[in-house]
Amino acid sequence: MGLQPYLLLSATVFSIGLFGVMTRRNTIGILLGVELMMNAVNINLVAFSRYTAAASGMIFTVFTICITVTEAALGLAIVILLFRVRRTVMADHLDLLKG
Amino acid sequence: MTEQITFAALSIVLVGSALAVVLSKNLFHAVLWLALALTGTAGIFLLLDAEFLAAVQLLLYAGGIITIVVFAIVVTERLIGERLTQTNMRIGGAAFVSVVFLGFIVVVLGRHALPAFRPEMPGDLTRLIGETVLTRYVLPFELLAVLMLVGMLGAIYFARPED
Amino acid sequence: MIGVLTGSALHALIALLLPAFSFLVLAIVAPFRRLGRPAAWFSTTCAAAAFVSALIAWHYGAEQIAKVVWPWLPSGGVTIADVGVLLDAQSSVMLCLVTLVSFLVQFYSLGYLHDEPARSLGRYYAYQSLFAFSMIGLALAPNLLQLFMCWELVGLCSYLLIGYWYQRPSAARAAVKAFWITKAGDVGLLIGIVMLWRLTGTFDLQQLRMLATSGAIPVAGLSIITFAIYMGAMGKSAQFPFHVWLPDAMEGPTPVSALIHAATMVTAGVYLLVRTDWLFALTPNVLTIVAWIGAFTALLAAVLACVQDDIKRVLAYSTVSQLGYMMTAIGAGVAAAGFLHLLTHGLFKALLFLGAGAVIHAVGSNDLPRMGGLARRMPQTALLFIVGTLSLAGIPLFGGFLSKEEILGAVWMGGLPGPFALLLLVAFLTAFYMFRVVFLAFFGTPAPVAAVVHAGHAPAHGTVGQVVSASAEAAADRRSAEREGWSDPARTPPRVAHSHLHNEAVVEGAHVHEVPHAHEPPATMLLPLWVLALMTMAVGVYTTWGGAATAGFFVGGEHAEQAVPPGWLTPVAVGAGLAGILLAWLTYQTRAINASSLAAAFGPIRSAAIRKFWIDDVFETIYGLILLGLARVVGWIDRYIVDGVLNLLSDWTVQAGDELRGIQTGKPQDYVYGVATGVLVLVLLMRLVF
Repeated sequence: MGLQPYLLLSATVFSIGLFGVMTRRNTIGILLGVELMMNAVNINLVAFSRYTAAASGMIFTVFTICITVTEAALGLAIVILLFRVRRTVMADHLDLLKG
Repeated sequence: MTEQITFAALSIVLVGSALAVVLSKNLFHAVLWLALALTGTAGIFLLLDAEFLAAVQLLLYAGGIITIVVFAIVVTERLIGERLTQTNMRIGGAAFVSVVFLGFIVVVLGRHALPAFRPEMPGDLTRLIGETVLTRYVLPFELLAVLMLVGMLGAIYFARPED
Repeated sequence: MIGVLTGSALHALIALLLPAFSFLVLAIVAPFRRLGRPAAWFSTTCAAAAFVSALIAWHYGAEQIAKVVWPWLPSGGVTIADVGVLLDAQSSVMLCLVTLVSFLVQFYSLGYLHDEPARSLGRYYAYQSLFAFSMIGLALAPNLLQLFMCWELVGLCSYLLIGYWYQRPSAARAAVKAFWITKAGDVGLLIGIVMLWRLTGTFDLQQLRMLATSGAIPVAGLSIITFAIYMGAMGKSAQFPFHVWLPDAMEGPTPVSALIHAATMVTAGVYLLVRTDWLFALTPNVLTIVAWIGAFTALLAAVLACVQDDIKRVLAYSTVSQLGYMMTAIGAGVAAAGFLHLLTHGLFKALLFLGAGAVIHAVGSNDLPRMGGLARRMPQTALLFIVGTLSLAGIPLFGGFLSKEEILGAVWMGGLPGPFALLLLVAFLTAFYMFRVVFLAFFGTPAPVAAVVHAGHAPAHGTVGQVVSASAEAAADRRSAEREGWSDPARTPPRVAHSHLHNEAVVEGAHVHEVPHAHEPPATMLLPLWVLALMTMAVGVYTTWGGAATAGFFVGGEHAEQAVPPGWLTPVAVGAGLAGILLAWLTYQTRAINASSLAAAFGPIRSAAIRKFWIDDVFETIYGLILLGLARVVGWIDRYIVDGVLNLLSDWTVQAGDELRGIQTGKPQDYVYGVATGVLVLVLLMRLVF
């Protein structure tokens, strides 16, 4: 079928994830967007790996999945902690950096 | 032929659920849609002859991550005591950026010649992956273990009860 | 060093450097200067030695020209300016005049400024030494650049010395006024010098003279140059309309007036024109202007002198008038006649000023109405003063006779009948107003004085008697109302005399006693008077007896033989002088003519003269309106436009900062958005544009 459709698919999912990161107000919603982006990257990796007959692409994907899982866990822990301190999960309210 | 139909169907599922994730007003619904998207990704992996990865995807992503996200929502929602609603902000700008980004990639993809057919892969990919991880990529593997340990410790520390 | 160091050049250099040495010592070694009298003696001794040196230089070198210079301003491998001395007939005799009067004045000041505090006295002598150095440097200048530098230095010294009593506001104002007005002329001089250099490529006087006499200088446009140089002379030599500073300069001590405003600095302008007469000879139209302005100045000043009550002001206006005489002679083309008059005038005007100083010292005031019958009390001073006055009036056997004759002859033969008539009238007026002074001050009845309050000696100021009338108030009012009429000393009530001598009197420990009788001045003051008077007499007798040829003795062999003036010239000129003396005698001595009716006869001229023909007011208006106005405009521009622009820019910057701050919302999502947009833009730019 060709590599192109897979790459297009992955790009689409990536931009949707990007959109989600930029627009979601809830912090957990932002994390969901990040998950989507990671997924798109994985699809990309596997597609390239398959179409260039390099197994290392898939191995890389294994690693990225594991790392993503760790990152998600930690991210959510931070959200919960943030919630405890600031009593909110709304990203709009987390503006201590405001200049 | 079958491949293309399967691909088309999986694409629709995947893109549709992705859109639903980012556009849902209800966060819980968004999480469920994410589960569907992750499952769709697993299907894509199967289509790409990466069975092991499909399994890992289902296990870790569709299983693990969804679970913890749901837990997080429950914890934070319960504490607030109301349904978390979503109102998106800055839709226009973000949509524009995303669309342009997508368009850019499409254009770049169009300019370059990409492999059009699948080369032969070793039959037992799972075995191959397993062996390579434990021989050639053993260092990253171990480091990954360390990373996970550290992450676990961090998460536990973050989520400790207040005192 | 370039040039042969002949004996005369060496002595000229010594004469130049001795006052410089004195100045440096007094300026640098402050403790010595603050001692006062020792510093004064040191400076005076240096001045005496300089005079001796000058005499030797003149004696040895009057015939040949000696020049010694050191290269000073190199430029592109060629020296464009030197410093040194140029000794020829003119400069050597000028050197003698300057050093002589310098020495005599410094010696005289020992007595005149006897009561000054030591610090001020040291300062005075430092300035005197500096002035002597600058004037000698000007006289001996081998090129126009050194001349200009010394010119400016001389102006500076004039400022310093006029404003010697700087605590007095009138003195400070007079000093600044002198500086400003002469500066206006100096601009012209500088422009002229530079333009001349552009035209000829040299500043050197000898080279310029060769170029001029050989016709190598293009005449087109030379008129502007010579007129610009003349402007410098106008400022320094008080030609109309730049004469206004000289009367005010009388605020300085009288010895200063004798030195600077009679014999040396004001003659610098005349000297300059004499030195460059070969250049002016190429532009006869400028010379005509010089002559007319000179004659007009002479007349204007003579008229103004007739209405002055301050003895020093009469002498100041007289100086302006005589300077006009000299300039007219130069304008007629016979610079030697002007130069001769410069020399003789230097002698007898210094004599007159120093004599006036003796009178002021004795009476305690400058005002003629306060004086009278002084000849009885101060016979020597009176005699010497009359000698000077007769010289000024141009009476035969006295110093000014031949020089005045020469000038009148030169003007007549030069084909300038208009200036000639003016000068003749001025001769008449000169004799008249000078003898008015003589009769009012030295003859007649003494002015009545009431009780006199002597200020006690306050250590800080050391003032001596300031004559203050006890019952002055009403009298002063009546006096000022009478100001317009001729003053009759016999009927003048005592008036408040503003002391021209000292700082504001410190009336502490005042004790009242009778005014001391006016007495002869001390020896330090009398001696210079005798010297000057004897020299004037010697010059007068020698020149009257020897006739026109003797002029060459003073001004050097370059005094070309000119056509002999008509025979009626001398009797007419002398007659004018005698007529003036006669009128003054009739009016002030015998009272045959009533002073008031004489005044009324010239009513409108007189009232205009008292207001100095409003020339001073014109200058003040120019200063106030234009200069200060310009300053105000510039200040406004600076405050509102320059500062305004800066303030506007800074306000805009602050505003922009405030608005840009809005980008930092603090929300991480906005930052993600920013990053994504930025990356997108960058990548697109890279792909599509570059």
